[in-house]
Amino acid sequence: MQLFDKTNIDFVSLRKVFINISGLILILGVVVAFIFPPEFGIDYTGGSEVAVKFSKNVSTDELRNVISNAGLKNAEIKSFGEDNQYLIRVKEFGDVQIKIESALSKITNNTFTILKVDKIGAKIGGEMRMQAFFAIILAIIAMLIYIGFRFEFAFGLGAMIALVHDVFVAITFIMVFNALGIMDLEINQSLLAALLTVVGYSVNDTVIVFDRVRENRELHKGMNFIKLINLSINETLSRTVNTVMTVVITLVVLLIFGGPVLMGFAFTLLVGILVGTYSSVYIASNFVIWYFEKIKKQDLETGWINEKNKVKTA
Amino acid sequence: MKKVLGKIILVAITLIAALAMLYPTYKANNLEKIQKEYLAKAKQAKNSSDSLAVIEAFQKQYGEALMKAKNSQLKLGLDLRGGMYVTLEVDVAKLIEETATKQYVDDTFMQVVEKTAAEARNTEDDVIDIFLKNFNAIARPKGKSLISYFDFGNVRDLSEEKIIEKLRNDQKQAIDQALEVLRQRIDQYGVAEPNIQKQGATRIVMELPGVSNVADMRSLLSTTARLEFKLVKNNRQIVEFFYRVDNLLKGKLEPVVAATDTAKVDTNKVAKADKTKTTAKVDTTKKKTDSTKVAADTTKKSDTTDPYAGLPKEEAAKKYLSDHPFTRLFTTYYMPPQKNANVVPIYYTVNQFPEGEYMFKIMEDSLPRFKEIMNRPEVKALMPAELAIAFDAKPDPRFVEQNINVFDFYSLKKEPELTGEVIVDALATYDPSSNLPVVTMAMNADGAERWSKITGANLNKRIAIVLDDRVYSAPNVQSKITGGNSQISGMSSPEEARLLEIVLKAGALKAPVEIIEERIVGPSLGEDSIRNGITASVIAVILVVLYMAMYYSTGGVYADIAVVLNIVLILGILASLGGTLSLPGIAGIILTLGMAVDANVLIYERIREELHKGRSFKSALDEGFSKALSAILDSNITTFITGLILFYLGSGPIQGFALTLMIGILMTLFTAILITRALIDITLNAGKDTISFGEKKIKTIK
Repeated sequence: MQLFDKTNIDFVSLRKVFINISGLILILGVVVAFIFPPEFGIDYTGGSEVAVKFSKNVSTDELRNVISNAGLKNAEIKSFGEDNQYLIRVKEFGDVQIKIESALSKITNNTFTILKVDKIGAKIGGEMRMQAFFAIILAIIAMLIYIGFRFEFAFGLGAMIALVHDVFVAITFIMVFNALGIMDLEINQSLLAALLTVVGYSVNDTVIVFDRVRENRELHKGMNFIKLINLSINETLSRTVNTVMTVVITLVVLLIFGGPVLMGFAFTLLVGILVGTYSSVYIASNFVIWYFEKIKKQDLETGWINEKNKVKTA
Repeated sequence: MKKVLGKIILVAITLIAALAMLYPTYKANNLEKIQKEYLAKAKQAKNSSDSLAVIEAFQKQYGEALMKAKNSQLKLGLDLRGGMYVTLEVDVAKLIEETATKQYVDDTFMQVVEKTAAEARNTEDDVIDIFLKNFNAIARPKGKSLISYFDFGNVRDLSEEKIIEKLRNDQKQAIDQALEVLRQRIDQYGVAEPNIQKQGATRIVMELPGVSNVADMRSLLSTTARLEFKLVKNNRQIVEFFYRVDNLLKGKLEPVVAATDTAKVDTNKVAKADKTKTTAKVDTTKKKTDSTKVAADTTKKSDTTDPYAGLPKEEAAKKYLSDHPFTRLFTTYYMPPQKNANVVPIYYTVNQFPEGEYMFKIMEDSLPRFKEIMNRPEVKALMPAELAIAFDAKPDPRFVEQNINVFDFYSLKKEPELTGEVIVDALATYDPSSNLPVVTMAMNADGAERWSKITGANLNKRIAIVLDDRVYSAPNVQSKITGGNSQISGMSSPEEARLLEIVLKAGALKAPVEIIEERIVGPSLGEDSIRNGITASVIAVILVVLYMAMYYSTGGVYADIAVVLNIVLILGILASLGGTLSLPGIAGIILTLGMAVDANVLIYERIREELHKGRSFKSALDEGFSKALSAILDSNITTFITGLILFYLGSGPIQGFALTLMIGILMTLFTAILITRALIDITLNAGKDTISFGEKKIKTIK
């Protein structure tokens, strides 16, 4: 089977359109962040969370009622996976589990089992927040260094811009989907793990294209710069699509069958990897073109002037 | 054939290695099933003794194999097996409050402490710094200094610096003390495979699998430890009691117990520290005859005839064991009063025991049965009312090196002579004259007065230092101690001295800990998660395998074989690294599945391209593998770096994800490049000219 046979799609000429689209999404993200700020899980805010399973149907109103009667005000109640499973979250930290258990036992004609309890002190929450922030920044810097080391500075910068773009777009999607109530997506530890994996994976895609650019540069010396990039993207297109397909298959499976604990994780990765593929074609490569055109003031029509000539094909 | 032999071997070895690494997991699972059957049988047993016998029978037959298998099996994370994860932190504000001298504490001081506690809850700053800042702001304007509140008794030239230094030191030790106390308690509570670790300077992280009674566990974690000094009464009275228990039990027929062998070996190991079991048995019998002589010697004047006379050695040993259902569980030594005399093993053949000091040692294996017998009402009735049995907290260090856990146990006077509150300070140090590790301990005035009376009345007797009913040391009183400063010697190592220091401080320092993070996963959610994880993995594998086979034809099938091998390898390596498989870990494996075929996709696309260019199959194959390599390396290294960052900055389950991701990447490089290539070469060698990579048939050039 072969889906792509010697394609010759002009990815590059539309670059301005796509850069604008991406810019718009990012602006939208900032706006969304103000209207529907991202919801942080108790991993990062501190507080308590109890997941319960009831034997029979219970309304969230009734749940909220008994819990508020037990002295836990402003409890958040969400469904958790299957029917009759709820997640009760309160800001308090202390004997919350006992209070909730005794409150729930007041619901008549129903029995419940505690599925899980998470209690995070405010101090730990703050520390984890710092750690998460630090981890993302560290990952991005590490990528910049690696790509800069393996290719040249412009490529490293292009890859970094692409992945910052991916992370922001993914977060925008998370905020929008969460605010619209399509999916329960709060920023917690497993979401962070997903975001970091997106960082690694997004670069992965970009690297494949850059690797081909590097090779073609030697192969077609003097070729029109824009044509060169376009050729490289087209040559790697089949691979790009296939890899994304296999990963997307696994992530969709995970999203559907992975259960409530992994849902946010799978969703974030799915969005991040799709966006990552898009950005490796439209953002990273186009940044490199822009960089050589505007910053290095090279004439793109006459072909690449390889100043350092340090890169050699394997 | 010769050409590809190496490759066949490579594939075979990989397969065998992967399966070998997972074999302990398979075995442990099987043994656990058998264990469950035994436990069910044990539950049905009429009394606790019978049920213990069933458990002992399992231990005897499978115990060692199960332990071995469990050590190298793939462990499941708490999120999959259910359990409790707790982070505890030393409550430094409380510690400061406890350290201050009670009589001097006033409202101003409490105000400072409360403000400190409130602030400490929300920042990561050093709590002692916060305390000092608040003290300067609130108490100092009122003319107070630290010296107004802290009095450590016998410290000379008490200065503010010294007080701060002591507070910092106490903070450090509070964590070790809490760690020790918690370890013992969790151990006694009977949590299987707990993981208790110190994290940073003030935290303890505990993973307690299978704990469901959270309320119990929480009270266990929050109550403070009890330190007591108790008189050791290892005397004739208790030995005679043991003798009577034997006789009491002999009336009933005991089930043949498997633990007899260990009891036998036990006797010898303690006496001679012999390593081999076979010689041990023979030796025991020898000694038995010896000991009867000893017994006969000491009872020269009584008419008792030796019941073992004339019996062959093996028979004598057998008879001894069946005659002594209780005392065979441990070994007893008599310590003659003469100086430098050797300890004498004692056998319960005749009811004639010399006056004086005894010593008891028991193997860990025999502990459950010992405790079970001691708990029977009819045995309890025989026990001298003022005495109680207590075990050493740590196994005898001389045997630990040989992987044998032997515990000393003591008969103690129930009423403590003194409790820990009187201790002001303790310090592990070296005796300047002998240069051996010692521990010094200081008491307050009230304690010192009572201590001098106690030591004066019990010269040359032993006093046990007991924390939470476990004995940490039972030193001999060498002189009457006045003034409250004592020195305890005889520690075998500086570590032992340090442990004793920590234990003694439990009297002065109440090591208040608070729970700052608590996660509980109920067993039902764990089961759901395992089911979800398995379903998702199976479906993902099937889909990816189908996709690859459809798209890349034969080449795709080889990639599929490599990917499946990859997953088995990830699990195997995870098991042999001692890692745990968490739900995010499963997600990591599923993700690796998608990414692993990426390497093959890169190679195959390249081969297709080269074929299009008109290369021969062979050279297209070589080009494909070699030219795709740099892209494969680059893309995998970047993902590996993020995995590394996650591993170091993440916690718990996230680390599990990072670990599987990293192992997955390394294995991907191996399987996707080497294994698929080997498979292709093996096929080609078997006579095929080409292999399909699902490319369009444009092969016009031959």
